[in-house]
Amino acid sequence: MNRRQRLAASAAALALTLTCGPAAAETLKIALNADIRSLDPGVNRDANSDAVVLHMVEGLVAYSEDASVKPLLAKEVAVSDDDLTYTFTLRDGVKFHNGNVLTAADVVWNWSRYMDEATKWRCRNDFAEGGAAHVISVTAPDDQTVVFKLEKPNALFQATLARTDCGMTGILDKSSFNADGSFNVPVGTGPFRYKEWRKGEFIDLEAFADYAVRSEEKRDGYTGAKRPLVEAVRFAVIPDRSSAKAALLNGDIDIVPDVPYADVEEFKQNADTAVSLATNPGIVALLLQTRDPLLKDMRIRKAIAMALDTKTMVEGITLGLGKANNSLIPPTSQYHSAAQAQGYSYDPEAAKALLQEAGYNGQPIKLIANTRYSNTYDAAIVAQAMLQQVGITAELEVLEWAAQLDRYQSSNYTAMVFPYSGRYDPALTMDSVMGNKDKEPRKVWDDPDAQAMLADAVRYSDPAKRQELFDKLHARFLETVPFIMLYNGLEASAYQKHVQNYAASIFSMPRAWEVTIAE
Amino acid sequence: MLRFILSRIGMAVPTVLLVAVVVFFLIRLVPGDPAALLLGDMASPESVAALRSDLGLDKNILTQFAIWLTNVFQGDLGTSITTKEPVAHLVIERFKVSAGIVLVAVALASLAAVPAGFIAALRQNSKLDLTLVSIAALLLSIPTFWLGLVILLIFGLKLGWLPVVGYVSVAEDPSRGLLYVLMPILTLFLHEIGVLLRMARASALEVLRLDYITHARAKGLPERTVLWRHVFPNAFAPTLTLIGLVLGNMLGGIAVVETVFTIPGLGRLLVDAIFGRDYPVIQGCLLFIAVIYVLVNLIVDLCYPLFDPRVKIT
Amino acid sequence: MKTLSANAMVGGLFVGAFVIAACIGSVWTPYDPMAIDMKARLAGPSTQHLLGADEFGRDVLSRLMLGASASGIVSLATVAIATVLGTALGSISGYLGGWTDRVLVAVTNALLAFPGILLALGLLAIFGANKYGIVLALGIAYTPSVARIVRGTVLSLREREFIDASRVSGDTEMYTLLRHILPNCIAPLTVLSTSMFGWTLLSESALSFLGLGVPPPAPTWGNMLAAARPYLAQAAWLAIFPGLCISIVLLGINLLGDALRDRLDPKMRGMQ
Repeated sequence: MNRRQRLAASAAALALTLTCGPAAAETLKIALNADIRSLDPGVNRDANSDAVVLHMVEGLVAYSEDASVKPLLAKEVAVSDDDLTYTFTLRDGVKFHNGNVLTAADVVWNWSRYMDEATKWRCRNDFAEGGAAHVISVTAPDDQTVVFKLEKPNALFQATLARTDCGMTGILDKSSFNADGSFNVPVGTGPFRYKEWRKGEFIDLEAFADYAVRSEEKRDGYTGAKRPLVEAVRFAVIPDRSSAKAALLNGDIDIVPDVPYADVEEFKQNADTAVSLATNPGIVALLLQTRDPLLKDMRIRKAIAMALDTKTMVEGITLGLGKANNSLIPPTSQYHSAAQAQGYSYDPEAAKALLQEAGYNGQPIKLIANTRYSNTYDAAIVAQAMLQQVGITAELEVLEWAAQLDRYQSSNYTAMVFPYSGRYDPALTMDSVMGNKDKEPRKVWDDPDAQAMLADAVRYSDPAKRQELFDKLHARFLETVPFIMLYNGLEASAYQKHVQNYAASIFSMPRAWEVTIAE
Repeated sequence: MLRFILSRIGMAVPTVLLVAVVVFFLIRLVPGDPAALLLGDMASPESVAALRSDLGLDKNILTQFAIWLTNVFQGDLGTSITTKEPVAHLVIERFKVSAGIVLVAVALASLAAVPAGFIAALRQNSKLDLTLVSIAALLLSIPTFWLGLVILLIFGLKLGWLPVVGYVSVAEDPSRGLLYVLMPILTLFLHEIGVLLRMARASALEVLRLDYITHARAKGLPERTVLWRHVFPNAFAPTLTLIGLVLGNMLGGIAVVETVFTIPGLGRLLVDAIFGRDYPVIQGCLLFIAVIYVLVNLIVDLCYPLFDPRVKIT
Repeated sequence: MKTLSANAMVGGLFVGAFVIAACIGSVWTPYDPMAIDMKARLAGPSTQHLLGADEFGRDVLSRLMLGASASGIVSLATVAIATVLGTALGSISGYLGGWTDRVLVAVTNALLAFPGILLALGLLAIFGANKYGIVLALGIAYTPSVARIVRGTVLSLREREFIDASRVSGDTEMYTLLRHILPNCIAPLTVLSTSMFGWTLLSESALSFLGLGVPPPAPTWGNMLAAARPYLAQAAWLAIFPGLCISIVLLGINLLGDALRDRLDPKMRGMQ
């Protein structure tokens, strides 16, 4: 190439970049606060990985906007009277990204891959022998029908299949795998398909033109209408929050799914940006060591609960955006009844009296927090000040998240503010905090009576029956104060105003389908 | 020459080995479990234990060390616990990014700061000297992340001239790639000017105080000859050493700037690996940084006689 | 020397102001630096809160004053540790020579093979991210710089006549080392200490920025700066004041250090 040719070539390249301008505007750019771990559904994943993968991959059933489970790839689900047989009828004409048509045989094949120990699927133990929802057989009587048989009834079977951290038990085409059986890239049925993952930088997806759209008109959680309305989606990895904010403000990014509460007002005021808020089922709790010589006394735990004005605390932490919730069931759930709205009674005087009765005289209580999840740190700071008011000395110990998680897992703490990630069925949330501390040190609510009620809530699928059990459990939770529930996670997503129909959701994960970019 | 290189490498081996041992054991003393971190808050103890055994973390620590060291000697740094990528590949890819920024910033800063430092030394105590020294002191007094943030706010946000986030490889798309690295380079450049100007000035001052300069002047040699023949060559060599030192330090350590500008560099990789307890990546990074440091110093020493006629390598 | 001593005056003034602020801050502050007042959240500078209030409504001026003493103590302790450890290592290494020297040099080189902040990151993770962890980690990270200077001085002096004279007159090795060799290290070490003090201030803030510094709620300038980042747009003063404090003190130290260097140790070259 001589010099003139080279010049011509670079001019052409420049022209190309310029003409690509408008097309590039059709790319929806979403910030991710960390790179994803893998593209394999439910394997080596975290919330960001789930968020990206679930744009490409779909399961038989999915969570709807209110956390109930509805069909996705399935047209309908029939449950036998003995609650042991689930018959899924697949929708017609669902295509994989490579054009293959989804059949029942694909589901069976995927199931056997997930249940293979070598796959390292996160949720295998739930469905394997000894698991809560042990599946004894999966068969495909015809191309459109899949039959799952359970060992014993389990009201959470579908809720577990639909779990986002299980990758929604997503159905993949066989071309997703290399010749040696290892995972390559997801070839699923979702509204977007895989284009490129540049590690540490971005993941690019493109619209799947042949996406089999469901009949519903509206988006409904992870099911309902899921049309890909933009040409491409880029998930850009931006670990630094200030940088993400700057990128949103100058238009490099369209959506930042999680902005600090402190920035919400600014994004609302800004003419070009808007904010969408959603409460998620994640819980922020003040964990108390019920085996600590001091805190094993229920009166002291009660006094702590009475000393905390959780309403003011949460308003302060979330800058008035969030509300306190002393129930393990989030306000967005169908099970958040009037009984669940009952919380701790804030009464510093009564707390002081109770402390005196219990013989507390200023022994310091170590309160662990971390700065990675800044809201838990804020909660610890405010809690410390409120406890001071009734004469409880709380010493703050700020740890790195990895170290705090270690202390949590081994139950090596007196008190800590801890963030739990969300589970969409209340029974799943309770299961993650309840249990025998001798067997599982990380469990924080060790109460055989409550455990029995939870077992019933898992067994029965009748909503009225479950409601009754959940209300009883909540009453017991308030009465015995195994730990203190402060509030549910609250996600504030900020986006450019030219992005239309974007909304934050209980899932705390960005969703690009049904979203358009206005000219 | 060859003997010198070999003996230097021979001397560096125990250093690097010591680094390897210390890093391996220290990082395992830190509380926090990679398996628990990977699986998150709701993982059952069984699944954590299973993952630990998958990762080989359940083995005796000495066995783990033996396995790792054997692999390192065979050129295998292992695979990342979080991303499953080969560590060697990861480290080299990320290093290229950091190295590009650092080299450009240090080269530019040297070009600006070394002459300025020499001039300041020649006119010691003049107004010019005072100004230059004050500028250097001022630049050194601003924390880099703070400087980076201010630059980001001005050029990225207020003026909107430069893209605020993201990274495009310069090798892939030179014109766009350059836009993304301008601000980090500017940040480091400003900071390093402060460092290097002081060093260059001090080196030149030292030479100026030497007897033979006084002699040369006393002999009546023109000032220009004194400067070009005697002062600059002799002041340049120590300055070069110091530039090497700065380079050696920075090639592994621009985590802060990489964080501000979301650059996928080596420093960021290491910090993320520390937070995620990604042992193989931490070990790989630190070993690599140590080797780089040793190499840079070796190269600087080899270049020394080129600039300093008094030194000969034997 | 006139102009540089003017610089030194300015430097001395800044450092002096810092010392006074730190001393006052450790005994008295306008408000309780830890007291939360949600009503004053992110309040701007006013007559009530001269430098504004932070995200918990805590008085920024009070926190800066307490932070000055915290940052000052952390820096002083770090310098002390590095100086003591480095002098011990350097003099043993230089004086004994032989294998001891070789091993100690290998160790120093291994430590030097890490950028200070990376070494501190690693050590901090072990010691725990708190005041003592920072002091230990940075102290160890700076030890090799001290050790190198002391070893160099010792080596250059070991064979000199007055040392021989001391040996011949029957003094113990220890006495010779303490009486005749170490005093010669004082000048370069004073200069290095000023630099190290500045490095520590900077490193502490950088470590805080990366999330591994002195943990809040106890204020240091570094963690105040790090905590201020999310509020840059609404409450710039939260970041401006601690940033200014760090820069002013560092500037003071740098100017003072330069003057000290010119006065005490013309031979010492740049920074380590």
